[in-house]
Amino acid sequence: MSPDALSGLSQASSFLPLISTCIGVFVGLVVGMIPGMTISTGIIIVLPVTFVLPADIAIALLLGLYVGGMTGGSFSAVLLNIPGTPSASATAMDGFTMAAKGEAGRALGIAITASFIGGLFSFLCLFFIAPLLADVALEFRTEDMFSLVFFGLTIICSFAAKSLVKGLLSAALGLALVTIGQDPVMGTSRFTFGEANLMAGVHFLTAMIGLFAIPQLVDNLRASNAGKQAQAKLTSILPKVSDLKAIRLPVCIGSFTGSFLGILPGAGGPIAAFISYDYARKASKKPEQFGEGCAEGVAAPESANNAVTGGALIPMMTLGIPGDPVTAILIGALTIHGLAPGPLLFLERGDFAYGLIWSFFWANIFNFIIAILGLRILVKLLATPRALLMPTVAVLCVIGSYALRNNFFDVYVMLFFGFVGLAMRWLDMPVVPMLLALVLGRSLEENLRVALTSSKGDISIFFTSPISLTFLCLAALSIYWSLRSTRNKVDPYQKEPG
Amino acid sequence: MRRKNIIAALVLIVFAAGYGVLTAGLPLRTLPNTPDPSFFPWINMAIILILCFCLLFHSLRQPKETTPNPDAEERNRIITAMGIFIVYLATLPTLGFIMATAPFFAAMMVLFGERRPVYVGTGTIAVTAALYLLFRHGFGVFLPRGLLAGFVA
Repeated sequence: MSPDALSGLSQASSFLPLISTCIGVFVGLVVGMIPGMTISTGIIIVLPVTFVLPADIAIALLLGLYVGGMTGGSFSAVLLNIPGTPSASATAMDGFTMAAKGEAGRALGIAITASFIGGLFSFLCLFFIAPLLADVALEFRTEDMFSLVFFGLTIICSFAAKSLVKGLLSAALGLALVTIGQDPVMGTSRFTFGEANLMAGVHFLTAMIGLFAIPQLVDNLRASNAGKQAQAKLTSILPKVSDLKAIRLPVCIGSFTGSFLGILPGAGGPIAAFISYDYARKASKKPEQFGEGCAEGVAAPESANNAVTGGALIPMMTLGIPGDPVTAILIGALTIHGLAPGPLLFLERGDFAYGLIWSFFWANIFNFIIAILGLRILVKLLATPRALLMPTVAVLCVIGSYALRNNFFDVYVMLFFGFVGLAMRWLDMPVVPMLLALVLGRSLEENLRVALTSSKGDISIFFTSPISLTFLCLAALSIYWSLRSTRNKVDPYQKEPG
Repeated sequence: MRRKNIIAALVLIVFAAGYGVLTAGLPLRTLPNTPDPSFFPWINMAIILILCFCLLFHSLRQPKETTPNPDAEERNRIITAMGIFIVYLATLPTLGFIMATAPFFAAMMVLFGERRPVYVGTGTIAVTAALYLLFRHGFGVFLPRGLLAGFVA
């Protein structure tokens, strides 16, 4: 192991980061399992806390929440047939059927175990692939970075939208919002209307709170799903040896598929879960049992959606490209602490980069332990009164946006984005492309303008560089795939991911 | 959805036009052969306009549909909640965190279906106090004290 890896292990294994990871996992399990709460909401709850914590502890908390949230989503999918997160949608098909047969404990045990294995596999991918990819990414020039960011944006639009036009429109509006403030090359003020608070631009964390939390609060005001509570009794939770044997292949399929799809920006947990479910059914000797409450049908999607977490951290850490809202927020958390995710992170702060990877490892370990040991208590939290939970989330939204700079202006910006989020929901326009455009927009503009400056305005620079050309071809492919998906009415996200 | 899309496309065309006017007014500070600060906003404006026209033409070609009327009670509840939220944010700097949050929290609890006064009172006091103590004294966030400036730390 490299000195940085050892230093990272020591950093992530010290007392405070470990405790922080534990708390993150617990909060993640709770918010993941409560219908109407998503991982993004969980992040909003802990966001104000992360501003005041040291970077390693803040990241450990958020990673724990990310991992716990993915697993927690399966609890309500199995017990209520309501996926706590979109990633758990595929789990509900067999998980709830098993619960209906009186095997809720068995289904949850399998889900937790599969999540654990999928998460550990993706940790290995993260540990070995991320440093290599970071080395490759160090060779990227500005034109390559522009094409990479552009590819990231197009693939996100194609996955997040029912309609390609609306997805692209959402991203374009996000890019327009990014131009508020000082421009990244010349420092000229743009669209600030003389307001000093806008000189630094719109902080995407404020935008994220508004875009995600306010529409979610409004959704929870609607009567549907209210009062539905878990009735199933949990008997044995730890899976039997026969179950472990039965889920070997689906877990392998889910782990590989999830890790691979996680690396692709935009291809998040829901897609990985459904693809793994489909592959596992095709590979099974008894495919007719899928959908009738079989262990393999729970194991494949659960291993896949947790494997996505490690995969998604690879482009985030090495290229600075977020694949979903959670990794976008992680980028924000790192930026607040003066750390820029990207290839230089491994070069300049190798110990921190490896510390993050080891925190992810611990998050998976704690996730398994807390989920298995605390399942009976956690399930009772499904009955947490919405009347207490939702007002708390509303107040935390205000504190979160205020605490960013101790400034009420950010609170009003959050409210503005809340209305934008509501309007977008009314129009069935996805908010994820807008959020990611807010994250990536400055980098997109900066790299575009610097590349054009170096080429004296010659746009062929983007096509003569092999790396840039590859990313542009991938971007074209993703748009083509999206057009096909739209035509075939394929909607991989039933609701916003995260 | 057809009607909504048409409205959205038209609103965004107006937005893009306004964005274009503001972009045209940006100062031209640049070096020879380099893109100026308005370069990226112009591209953005063009993309937004193209996408808006795509959405508009696509929506106009779709057949008219009848949309179900939204539940009036549900709609009123949402509007009331948003109104309360706006009032809360408007009064927060003056009243301070505790004085503004407590009535907001209680009203939201009632809107979310809690009708028992004891539960509303207990929940409101407990959560408001806990959040204030946690963030103000635990994490050092300078939550405004407002009217209670002389009474609470």
